[in-house]
Amino acid sequence: MRLEHWFYTIPLRLRSIFRRSELDRELDEELQFHLEQRIQQEIATGKTRHEARYAALRAMEGMQQRKEECRDARRTRWLEDLMQDARYAIRTLIKTPAFTLSAVLVLALGIGANTAVFTIVNGVLLRPLALPEPDRLFLVSHMPTNNPFITPGPEMSDRDYIEFRRQDQVFESLATFGGENVTLTGAGDAVTMNALRVTPDFLQVLRVHPALGRGFLEEGQHETNVALLSDRLWRSRFGGDPQIVGKGITLDGAIYTVIGVMPPTFTFQNAELWTRMEVRLDPHNSFIRPVIGRLKPGVTPQQAQAELRAFAATRPLDKGEKRENFVTRILPLKELFVANVRKLLLIFAGAITFVFLIACANFANLLLIRGASRQPEIAIRAALGARRSRLVRQLLAESTLLSVAGGLVGVLVSVGGVRSLLAWLPSGKIPRIGEIQLDGWVLTFTFGLSLITGIVFGLSPALQATRRELREGVNAGGRSVTMRRERLRGAFVTAEVAMAMILLAGAGLLVKSFLQMRSVNPGFRQTNMMVATLDLPGSRYRTAAQMRALNERILSAMSLLPGAESVAAVNWIPLRPEFVRGDFQLEDGRHLPHGFLVDKPVVSPGYFRTMGIRLLSGRRFTERDNLSAPGVVIISEGVARRLWPGGDAIGKRISMEDEPKASDWLTIVGIVSDIRQRSLADTPSPSVYQSYLQVNQPFFLSHINFVVQSNENPAMMSAEIRSVLHKADQELPAQSVTTMEAMVANSLTDTQSQMRLLGIFSIMAVLLAAVGIYGVLTSSVLERTHEIGIRMAMGAEAKDVLWMVFRRTLILVGTGVVLGTLGAAAVTRVLAKFLFEVKPNDPFTFLAVTGILVTVAILAAWIPAQRAARVYPLVALRHE
Amino acid sequence: MSKPADLVQGTLNLLLLKILALEPMHGWAISQRLNQVSRDVLRVSDGSLYPALHKLEQEGWIAAEWKTSELGRRAKFYSLTRLGRRQLQQESAAWERLSGAITSVVRLKEA
Repeated sequence: MRLEHWFYTIPLRLRSIFRRSELDRELDEELQFHLEQRIQQEIATGKTRHEARYAALRAMEGMQQRKEECRDARRTRWLEDLMQDARYAIRTLIKTPAFTLSAVLVLALGIGANTAVFTIVNGVLLRPLALPEPDRLFLVSHMPTNNPFITPGPEMSDRDYIEFRRQDQVFESLATFGGENVTLTGAGDAVTMNALRVTPDFLQVLRVHPALGRGFLEEGQHETNVALLSDRLWRSRFGGDPQIVGKGITLDGAIYTVIGVMPPTFTFQNAELWTRMEVRLDPHNSFIRPVIGRLKPGVTPQQAQAELRAFAATRPLDKGEKRENFVTRILPLKELFVANVRKLLLIFAGAITFVFLIACANFANLLLIRGASRQPEIAIRAALGARRSRLVRQLLAESTLLSVAGGLVGVLVSVGGVRSLLAWLPSGKIPRIGEIQLDGWVLTFTFGLSLITGIVFGLSPALQATRRELREGVNAGGRSVTMRRERLRGAFVTAEVAMAMILLAGAGLLVKSFLQMRSVNPGFRQTNMMVATLDLPGSRYRTAAQMRALNERILSAMSLLPGAESVAAVNWIPLRPEFVRGDFQLEDGRHLPHGFLVDKPVVSPGYFRTMGIRLLSGRRFTERDNLSAPGVVIISEGVARRLWPGGDAIGKRISMEDEPKASDWLTIVGIVSDIRQRSLADTPSPSVYQSYLQVNQPFFLSHINFVVQSNENPAMMSAEIRSVLHKADQELPAQSVTTMEAMVANSLTDTQSQMRLLGIFSIMAVLLAAVGIYGVLTSSVLERTHEIGIRMAMGAEAKDVLWMVFRRTLILVGTGVVLGTLGAAAVTRVLAKFLFEVKPNDPFTFLAVTGILVTVAILAAWIPAQRAARVYPLVALRHE
Repeated sequence: MSKPADLVQGTLNLLLLKILALEPMHGWAISQRLNQVSRDVLRVSDGSLYPALHKLEQEGWIAAEWKTSELGRRAKFYSLTRLGRRQLQQESAAWERLSGAITSVVRLKEA
């Protein structure tokens, strides 16, 4: 019914809008026809032509009014009025370029910043994945919540995966995958890159097809050592060779056959290479990996969740597992990419909203001030009969026009803004960067935001400017009106200060966190240290003896480098994401306290001396602690204190084996201080060190870091260190050679970039608030020149007038700070996850931030206050 | 005043729709027909006719078309749309209910 109505009326309305003159012509013709018929009729009754014409016109009861009524019937009158308002608004805005420019700029800044952040939020969090029918792609997760080794991501053990996949009814296809680093040799310099090992259905689930060649063979059809290349890898390393399919490439020393090249648009966790993986049941180990699935058409995620829950309720439990410790989840595939950044991005979005609102408050204040200066005009128009609604509409047309102009400029601002934001965000932490772009959604968002801004923030100034008492008396300008106007402006300023305070408090907390983190003593030497990292490919280095020999060679070559004071090796260097934790056995039969896990670095004898890790008692490792000597370990203070509080750890024996033989017992020979192994923000970790000369499992030796302490600028040694590595094995890929200071700084980058971004936002907020304070005080001093003149004539001194302005500033800012503090106390909790040794309500930070705000406010009030104090009474009184 | 006082509010629409339901007509013919069928009781002034027609047109109840009139001149002919036919049914039903009710009230005998 409604629809049919529109079917008839929409073409009519469009015609009324776009064919107005044609309609008017037709209207004239129609009425003219009627008139002539009537005249003919009247003549037929015997009237003269003149009388007939007069009678016909009288029957019409006013030709022009009738025409107007017919036009009103078109229901597009509002649009015609709107066009008229817009034309008028453009004329008046052009006449006041200073006002127009400042309003547009303030809004362009606010809207532009907001659009920039929204562009990123949209690209990363909101846009559907660039895959066919992405709303049918889900992660299947079945994870224990109480396992200390794994952060509970949306994953599943491969044992469960196999069983779930066998029973499943709701998914069209399921696949699993694991990431790994592989080294490509024989195609330019050796290079290490991200690769994904995927089950054969992986491409089916995602519904992507290679641009060249084929995908993996179906499950059950055997194929080994096959690889799919990313478009980027294919172009950069193989020159886009169209004959690449079928050729062999060398990965980790093994030959793989290229079966295809993926399209350039396909990205998945930054992988450059996909190899085939078969998931097989292994009685001893079970890998835990993400599982992805494509739901059958028409199946809801709730149905999948129900199926998964049923699976979890019946699956056989391993020894020690409890059913209630497992959680099942069906999550959109997007979660795999964005779960880690969502909170951070939303915090930034929230922060930028405050900046935007402050800009809007400034905009509203500009409109208020303008409304005050246009009082005579408005009073005259009201006196001439303009209704209030008409005047309000006129003013709204102006503010909306301004805000839309601000939005247009804002889009330009946002293009630059997105680029800077991406540069400031933690590098490599933001997923889906390629999908961040100015799309229709962003433009819709910006346009909608601009319209709403113009109307919402234009409304109260418009209502204020058209108050009855203003409209009635052309020369009223009464004090009560001034007061009310000032109250409204003051409210906006207070709100600005409050919001700036909240942002500043957030930024302050992050600054304090950063400083705390930077001043943390990690427990090892940071200056004049170089770190070189090596991954030994399993194809070239199979046994621990081969690895030890290489380490030995490199260590002795490095110690000969000029400038090398001391050198050492360690498998898991501090502050890197990879580490090994585990438990161990005590010879006296005691069990480790529940949940007590230690880091297990394997080091060369010189490690503690080179790293500056203090020896607290006992001795360090020596070259004599080798395979033919009795096994020894060195424990850190944290282990000693926890297990041997009496201080008698030295000489006790422990074992790293679950069921130790007699030869597996290792004697504690020394205690060293704890260090921060995982990150500066983490608590110092208890560690049990072993000498690499006594370790026989390749796993502990295949990843190795060489630490060089130099007596000169360590970065100078980087080339020499690289050449030592190259000489030791020319097939080893170039890996990172960096300074320890860079590693420390690197571990701070997250906090640093969060701090920087929030800092920039809050500086914007404070500057905008300062501009707001300045604007409002300046205009109020101007409007009150007369009053100030009277005060001075009555004996007030310059300092009294100064105080008058500052007192108002302090009241406004003080109220803003109080409100802001309350707001911040409520809001900064969202930052808790990102703070280090700072409470979200840290009083010191809040106090410091208040100080900054009050100082800025006083500076902003300075010029208007001086201007007020310089008012010359005689001039002021003549001001009328 | 665009509507004559003796024409019950809203009935003009009903009359116009009803007349156009018989055949498409231009404005002049409608005014003639109105006077004729109501035996000059319901006088619709020339002035109120056209705004009413234009309102009906904008509601989508009647559609307009330029055709050559019987007098050999271009004239704007109105005809009922599907939507208008439905509207006519509703309005005439409402009118009959109302007039029936009023009639029965008027015929009440004084006690």
